[in-house]
Amino acid sequence: MIISVASGKGGTGKTTVAVSLALAAEYCQFADYDVEAPNADIFLKPGIKNIKKVTIKHPYFLTDTDKDFSGCAKFCHYNAVAVIGTEVLFYPQLCHGCGGCILVGPEGAVREKDVEVGEVSKGFSRPGIDFLEGNLIPGSMRTTTVQNELEKMINRSGLVIIDSPPGNSCSMVMSVKNSDYCILVTEPTPYGFNDLLISMDVLDSLKIPYGVIINRDGIGDTVVEDYCNAQNKKILLKIPNDIEIAKCYSRGGTLFDYDKSYKEKFQKTLEEIENSIFQ
Amino acid sequence: MKQITIISGKGGTGKTTIASNFIKMAHDHIAVDADVDAANLHILLNPIIEKQEDFIGGAIAVVNENCINCGKCEELCRFDAISYSSTDIRIDNLKCEGCGVCEYVCPVGAIVLKKEKQGQFYTSNTEFCKLVHARLNPGAENSGLLVTRVRNAAEDIAYSQDTKLVIIDGAPGIGCPVIASLNGVDYALIVTEPTLSGISDFKKIYYVAKFFNIKTFVCINKFDINPKNTVEIESFCALNNIEVIGKVSYDENVPKLLAQKKFIIDYPDSPAAKDIRKIWERFEGYFYG
Repeated sequence: MIISVASGKGGTGKTTVAVSLALAAEYCQFADYDVEAPNADIFLKPGIKNIKKVTIKHPYFLTDTDKDFSGCAKFCHYNAVAVIGTEVLFYPQLCHGCGGCILVGPEGAVREKDVEVGEVSKGFSRPGIDFLEGNLIPGSMRTTTVQNELEKMINRSGLVIIDSPPGNSCSMVMSVKNSDYCILVTEPTPYGFNDLLISMDVLDSLKIPYGVIINRDGIGDTVVEDYCNAQNKKILLKIPNDIEIAKCYSRGGTLFDYDKSYKEKFQKTLEEIENSIFQ
Repeated sequence: MKQITIISGKGGTGKTTIASNFIKMAHDHIAVDADVDAANLHILLNPIIEKQEDFIGGAIAVVNENCINCGKCEELCRFDAISYSSTDIRIDNLKCEGCGVCEYVCPVGAIVLKKEKQGQFYTSNTEFCKLVHARLNPGAENSGLLVTRVRNAAEDIAYSQDTKLVIIDGAPGIGCPVIASLNGVDYALIVTEPTLSGISDFKKIYYVAKFFNIKTFVCINKFDINPKNTVEIESFCALNNIEVIGKVSYDENVPKLLAQKKFIIDYPDSPAAKDIRKIWERFEGYFYG
């Protein structure tokens, strides 16, 4: 069973919730799909045992062969190759590594080399929690390539908790698309509400069931709660606004470090989710 | 003309709060919401849409009935987007990056690339300035491309109206929409918070800004929730010659006023309002000097 934790707006408490679920479950695989800004390791403190580099292939052009590379420039859908006279200009930032220029270019004159875009790492956090994390190299745009590598390491025979990146674009969809259930974490402000509605649209179109956790309940308004009640959207849990929780978080503490009773609350949430999936 | 992008790495550190209050205090400016899949700037700015355009994103491959199931496309697709069985070929729209390799290798012309509308972008009027913003279709790709479109539209207006300042509210993370929002700007303002997560993501986004050679400033939001971490951010900045342009106090009025769709700077006695005004005054020299 895969449960993903997502949110349109950033900083609403995805990682706090995902980490709490993993600790409440005690036995699970935990995967941090927020490869641009992974933070779950701060709270789960895994000993990393295994690191694998994620690479894509970039072309290089043997221009001393006097061959015509203009076909490569014409083919490239990302404008990563330009040919001016006999000179080939290559823009690595734009290259997706599709290999098209090798197919269309002069035979043998376009070669490839591996370029690192990130890494995926594997470790254990306390007995019972298998920890996976992706890390994009700053400056690279290959977020989904790193996520794709994580996807290959998921073992869905047991419980899997996925911590998604914020937003509602492709990297969020990559994180939630295989899940049996998604938890949307939001905060009761107009920003939180606006972005929550977009995330609901994404999950509706993917036909993934979901419920809502309202974090920092009490800081703003009641629009999120009123909407969920009116539209029959499940509110799984409300976590009250409390500066002490924020301070505990700032030091790398979990919700359970602050108040042990949250363990039971999250176990109930897990149970509720399981029941709703297997009803 | 100067352009500044407000970024953070970690989400929810206060980018839009800083951006919207800057927009209210600035003059001769234009605003851009570059967080196209979770845009929020419009909530306080209340835009009236003047012009609306479709965003046609990158292409994706579509298989038609001519397919002879030879499997060549699957073999050459580098994005694991094609699954091949003895009965059919399937393309995973999410994984397809529209590179065109499958279209090129297909011996019977059964795959064509198609472009689709993936969102919209708008030029709007607000009480303070023009706003260029967008809506990416939920779950769509190419958010970076849409950010570039939005910024080009803003630059066109800025050049024709002799605008002095473009304020760009960026997305969280360090990936393609963020890089698109930083491309060619004069300044980056990183809004961070003194939490271990905030610090970790701050360093990543700083390396991105540095990679693109952009003059970077740092604002530490809610600096008083963890003084020790605030000192750590300040020493990192000192070591790397980054100017900490200001610190903003933890202030519960910020979300309360947001819920009423009000600007924090309109409540001058509020601690965060004082801090944000101070930061703006420091920036004015860079923007209008």
